[in-house]
Amino acid sequence: MPNPKRRDVTRILVSLCVLLAGGPNAWAQDSPHQHGDSEHAEESPETPEVESQSRLPEAELPAGMTLDEVLARAEEPPPDDYPDAIPDDHLRAFFIVDQLEYRYDLQGEPDAVGTEFSAWFGGDFNRLWLKGEGEASWQGEDFEGESDVDLLYGRLIAPFWTAQAGVQYANVWGGENYRDFWAAALAIQGLAPGMFEVDASIYVTEKLNLLATFEAEYDVRITQRLVLQPRTELRFSARDSDARGIGAGMNSVVVDLRLRYALWREFAPYLGARFEALVFGTGDMAAAAGEDNSRFFVLGGVRFAIY
Amino acid sequence: MMNGPDSQRENSISRRGFVAGAAAGLASLKIAGPLWARTNPELRAGKFGALDASTPGGIDLYIEKQEVRVDEKIGQAITINGGFPGPVIRMKEGDDALIRVHNRMHESTSIHWHGILLPFTMDGVPGISFRGIAPGETFTYRFKVRQNGTYWYHSHTGMQEQLGHYGQLIIEPAQPDPVAYDVEHTIVLSDWTFEDPHTAMKKLKTIEGYYNFQRPTLANLSAQVEATGESLGEVISKRLQWNWMRMDPTDIADITGATFTYLLNGRSAAQNPTFFARPGQKVRFRITNASTMTYYDFRVEGLPLTVVQADGQNVEPVEVDELRVAVAETYDVLVTMPDEKAYTIFAETMDRSGFARGTLAPRPGMSAAIPARRHRPMLTMADMGMMHGAMEGMDEGDETKDMESSHGAHAMNGEHKMDDKPSTSVTYPPHDERRVAPIKERKPLPIQNLPEMVQHGPDEHGAASIAMAMHAYRRFDEPGIGLGKDGRRVLTYGQLKALQTPPDRRPPTREINLHLTGNMHKYIWGFNGKKWSESKMIRFKFGERLRINFINDTMMSHPIHLHGMWMDLYVGHDYAKNPRKHTVNVNPAELLTVDISADAPGQWAFHCHLLYHMEAGMFRTVAVVRDLSGEPIDAKS
Repeated sequence: MPNPKRRDVTRILVSLCVLLAGGPNAWAQDSPHQHGDSEHAEESPETPEVESQSRLPEAELPAGMTLDEVLARAEEPPPDDYPDAIPDDHLRAFFIVDQLEYRYDLQGEPDAVGTEFSAWFGGDFNRLWLKGEGEASWQGEDFEGESDVDLLYGRLIAPFWTAQAGVQYANVWGGENYRDFWAAALAIQGLAPGMFEVDASIYVTEKLNLLATFEAEYDVRITQRLVLQPRTELRFSARDSDARGIGAGMNSVVVDLRLRYALWREFAPYLGARFEALVFGTGDMAAAAGEDNSRFFVLGGVRFAIY
Repeated sequence: MMNGPDSQRENSISRRGFVAGAAAGLASLKIAGPLWARTNPELRAGKFGALDASTPGGIDLYIEKQEVRVDEKIGQAITINGGFPGPVIRMKEGDDALIRVHNRMHESTSIHWHGILLPFTMDGVPGISFRGIAPGETFTYRFKVRQNGTYWYHSHTGMQEQLGHYGQLIIEPAQPDPVAYDVEHTIVLSDWTFEDPHTAMKKLKTIEGYYNFQRPTLANLSAQVEATGESLGEVISKRLQWNWMRMDPTDIADITGATFTYLLNGRSAAQNPTFFARPGQKVRFRITNASTMTYYDFRVEGLPLTVVQADGQNVEPVEVDELRVAVAETYDVLVTMPDEKAYTIFAETMDRSGFARGTLAPRPGMSAAIPARRHRPMLTMADMGMMHGAMEGMDEGDETKDMESSHGAHAMNGEHKMDDKPSTSVTYPPHDERRVAPIKERKPLPIQNLPEMVQHGPDEHGAASIAMAMHAYRRFDEPGIGLGKDGRRVLTYGQLKALQTPPDRRPPTREINLHLTGNMHKYIWGFNGKKWSESKMIRFKFGERLRINFINDTMMSHPIHLHGMWMDLYVGHDYAKNPRKHTVNVNPAELLTVDISADAPGQWAFHCHLLYHMEAGMFRTVAVVRDLSGEPIDAKS
């Protein structure tokens, strides 16, 4: 249930989105005027003298109006002071935190906290999206982590698919080091046959490297409220990047399994497990730096939505 | 005005006693109506009176927002003269109706007279017929009553209908009533939620299947095996097929018993409203489905029902055991009270997530057992328009064992399979809302043996439409999803025959194909892939007779309502006998045809009567104009 505080968060998010996109018109609904040409060309003018005219029905007319006046009125759009008959183009906002969780490492490496979220603001077809994920961990004085946030304009291009374009801001930090990266982003997000939620993105970084991520998840409904969700996330890079510690080709694989219980549709605590591996060149780079290239976590967290 | 000692609890009116009583009721309501509302903060839903709008002085309706007790919980309702539902309004055919509506809320409101022929300025649709009734304002409705029968009225403003802003409307015939009965009872079926309807809308728009707690799960696999008599492998394979199509076979009601309290005359099933009749008496139930989203399957357990009226129009009597009442439809049925026992009036929701209930009894305090609830139905491949051919084997039926259907629907016996003669199948041109043939070329369209099915054209309706059905076909002889398989006789549209042929039965000379479209995942609804704000007005030529072919591309049923004019429903038999309706239910993958006499100049609403579908765009403005040569009009200028 939304409470006032949550509504504030939504409002802030919305204002931010408005600011970034340069005014609400940027993603307003399609203009109803877009189809002014071909469709009415088919309409043929009519000859005025028509046999059915002779048998016009007797209509009950509004008080004080002649039939001519009523028929003329029927040709007019509604007067300016009439409200919208159907306000079907509301702008809405939605914010869902898919993961907010504690990750307990089983092999003595540092534990981590992680999150993944997405938010949108807009109408049925055009929306502004914010998608992000992040992880942070501690060991003694060491505090390190990484995150990325995509800000995208998205358009519903097919019943199940949204195409998105925008920018990504990513960062990596550890100790004194802080690096950040900007990239142009393109994504396709939607529901694939078989009910797989899919999100595939490609990024062109400042250094003209090409990165890609592919995420897919599936809900196995055990009962109406208990859901098992396998999920995978694959990352790719076109070139080696020392700054990011990744090599060309596929560089990481994450496989998650979460068992959640939906107390409400908008709030579900969960338990799960996560396996992540750095592979190929990226795995070698990690090994060279003395890091494990695969990790296994058990995790607990909560999934929630604000709207 | 009241019949029986305890009948003040229900709206029960004997015919003879009505006129005198109405006058008394009118007098008291005019003075006391708004007063009592204020002095009773814990008003209980289900208290409503009766008014006669044909009296020379007219009547007054006071619209207020107040706390009302609904099934022991307090909710914020909209009351009319302090009641919810609003009063039963009576009128007499041939008289003038005069109704003053006083808005005592802080928001605009309106009343639409559902199914009533009147000048468009009296139709009560804000944005089309008028401005709406501003807070504090009084709007006077005045129109000549040109019809008779059972109708209803409701707000057409925003989502007020969800909050109790509706009531029944009964018009006494000018000629002797062909229906004989001893006692009549009003039955207003509705759905109530303690949530703000805008919150419910937001949930539907953002989280798919928010209210559906009847979905396929691992836990109910064995239940499905048991209910269908299929092997586990078959059940799993069907589920995977549905998954592959990204569809949910339990997507039958968008809003369910998870939030709805189902009401009969404003009372919950636990409150068990009681209706009285002595043995031997013939009872006329005037049934209105005033729900926002709920289809009801109505029966009086153990007693046959004789359907005598549909949408206010007398029909040739049909005896059935059960009838589905789509949202916004009205039916009158006769029941003869056989003995001194109590009988349960049972209105189960189509998705089986709940029920409304009452009791028919000779005396107060009696009740009968509540019938066992039936399994929730599941959509079948037939609802995807895939039944008639190669995919017939995929039909998974309901979760009831008896797959040998008793309804004899011709769809079931393969009468029109995909490989049938091409004469039974046509491909309609796409998107032809505004394609108009020159008058000279207009020939009368066939009125009998219309095509049994249409193939979905090559057209795509865009991102707002998930069109899975390759074919739409006639389903007027089918009882509907979840019905007809338990031995009960169920009313079908095919059984409805007008008692008297209405005056205008010319064959139509123009047809419009309207696809009912929606994207269930994004909760976008519309016609031909466009919601209201993206559409232009559909134009009818004043005086013409035209045909609309509804082609349901979606997997849900939609009750389509046209304001101001009748829709003559094609149901296969004698054209002169086609029933006249104000609301027609279009089943999934159904092709349904209606013919319309465009005899009401002005602008009218035309929409799906599922409130949340309408608000999401399943709405068109219809302009009845002088000729069709002008520019199409933007619905949203």
